[in-house]
Amino acid sequence: MLESILEFLILGIVLGGIYAMFSTGLTLIFGVLDVINVAHGEFFAIGGYIVFVAVVLLHLSPVLGILAATSGSFLLGLAIYPLLIKPMKRRLGRRPQGPLFLVLTLGLSTFLQSTLLAVGGGDYLRVPPFVRGMLDLTFTAVSYQRLLILAIAAVSLAALFLFLHFHRQGMAIRAVALNPDAAQAVGINLGMVFTLALALGVGLAGMAGALIAPLFNVYPTVGFAFTIKAFAITILGGLGNLAGALLASFVIAIVETLSVLVIPSQWQNVIAFAIMILVLLIRPQGLLGRADHR
Amino acid sequence: MMLHVDDVRAGYDRLEILQGVSLSVAPGQLVGIVGPNGAGKSTLLKTIFGYIRPFSGRIALRGKILNGCRPDEVMRQRVGFVAQAGGLFAEMTIQENLLLGGYSIGNTSAVRQAMDEVYERFPLFRERRRQLAGSLSGGEQRLLAIARSLIIKPDLLLLDEPSAALAPRFIDEVYATLRNLNAQGIAMLVVEQNTGIILDTADRVFVLEMGTNAFDGTPAELLADDRIRRLYLGSEAA
Repeated sequence: MLESILEFLILGIVLGGIYAMFSTGLTLIFGVLDVINVAHGEFFAIGGYIVFVAVVLLHLSPVLGILAATSGSFLLGLAIYPLLIKPMKRRLGRRPQGPLFLVLTLGLSTFLQSTLLAVGGGDYLRVPPFVRGMLDLTFTAVSYQRLLILAIAAVSLAALFLFLHFHRQGMAIRAVALNPDAAQAVGINLGMVFTLALALGVGLAGMAGALIAPLFNVYPTVGFAFTIKAFAITILGGLGNLAGALLASFVIAIVETLSVLVIPSQWQNVIAFAIMILVLLIRPQGLLGRADHR
Repeated sequence: MMLHVDDVRAGYDRLEILQGVSLSVAPGQLVGIVGPNGAGKSTLLKTIFGYIRPFSGRIALRGKILNGCRPDEVMRQRVGFVAQAGGLFAEMTIQENLLLGGYSIGNTSAVRQAMDEVYERFPLFRERRRQLAGSLSGGEQRLLAIARSLIIKPDLLLLDEPSAALAPRFIDEVYATLRNLNAQGIAMLVVEQNTGIILDTADRVFVLEMGTNAFDGTPAELLADDRIRRLYLGSEAA
């Protein structure tokens, strides 16, 4: 039994790394722009498609494929604020905007999904593992592909943390998330920060999509399940709270994975939302969120 | 003239709060804006700093037109803004707040040097630089907001009710700091509800009423005007 627990714990930690990359991006965007990006999963899918084209069709190395997926989705992300959100904000003035942005990103999600379907077809595209082989831990074996995912997730999230805390532009992103008026009073250009935060968020989603392409295959709606799960993680961690999203990603992934030891596996997907509802009933602001978040 | 505001109309959406306000601030001058609640005092400050776009009129800084400029663009003209309250990044440290004060400078060594100068003026903040800004007392937070605005070495400071919600001893401390900075040549435009302290401090006072100018003169002239004193300043200043 102990060996099974350790085996599933390792699988849970790897899954937590994927959830974390996806959810921190979503949380970053919400924390800075107050926009729930329903199209986040489509950028995850775009990352998968780019790595498929790079590795399978162009026979480039996986490293180049992952870099292309990350930078490709980052560049697409750079266009979202100036082309979609800024014009809408300008027209809406001071009227409440949240529900309209939800519909806007839902429209973007459908647009991107349909485009992927039209261009790439609806087939499941297979991406070979970036690294082959298994690490033997005596009680279980973990594929190097999963370990690679965990390592890249850890490095990219650490880099994001360092960027947000020690780089001038990263600090500006945190400043805008905390207090947009005060951020303007110190000379921060809100539009620039909104653009950068969106690009970073969807860049992370693209990277996550590329990394797990060998495990899940690539198809237009591959990101949908992750988007729904990420909403639960974002709410559980505390809306807009990056550390909370990170913690909630691992909590949900580990509990989800370990749950198959005690309940039938078809109930696995219920776990995330059961935890979310339970935590919200006890602590509505989420695990690390503050009750007075703007 | 350092700042010249001429017949400015501004507001929110279609609601016009400022209905043709004019004022000016000379280099090194400390100018107060007083008036009843809802007169448009804070709206005027926000319009000058670029938070609100004026519908019409003209805002000029050293002759350069500021109409339509964003706050970050106004700030690059060496104009600092100190908000009424809550203008800090409460969940960041004192040091991070000061570092962000130099965001528009870009050059790290110049920011560090400016921070050292601020720390010399406010040694308390050097000692407590790793403390969260939100954990400071109300008076200390107001001083930190002023300290942060000094990182860019401003020629003009816009201050929105620096005495609001402070205990009297902190009000004295904040105003002693402002007088000291003004004596060193920084011009100031101060919106204030505490008429007693602003009349003691300002070189010139503007009274706003319903988004229009109701008085423009020195504190002594204002105190000599029975109608203005009775209508807009109440008994406190009398």
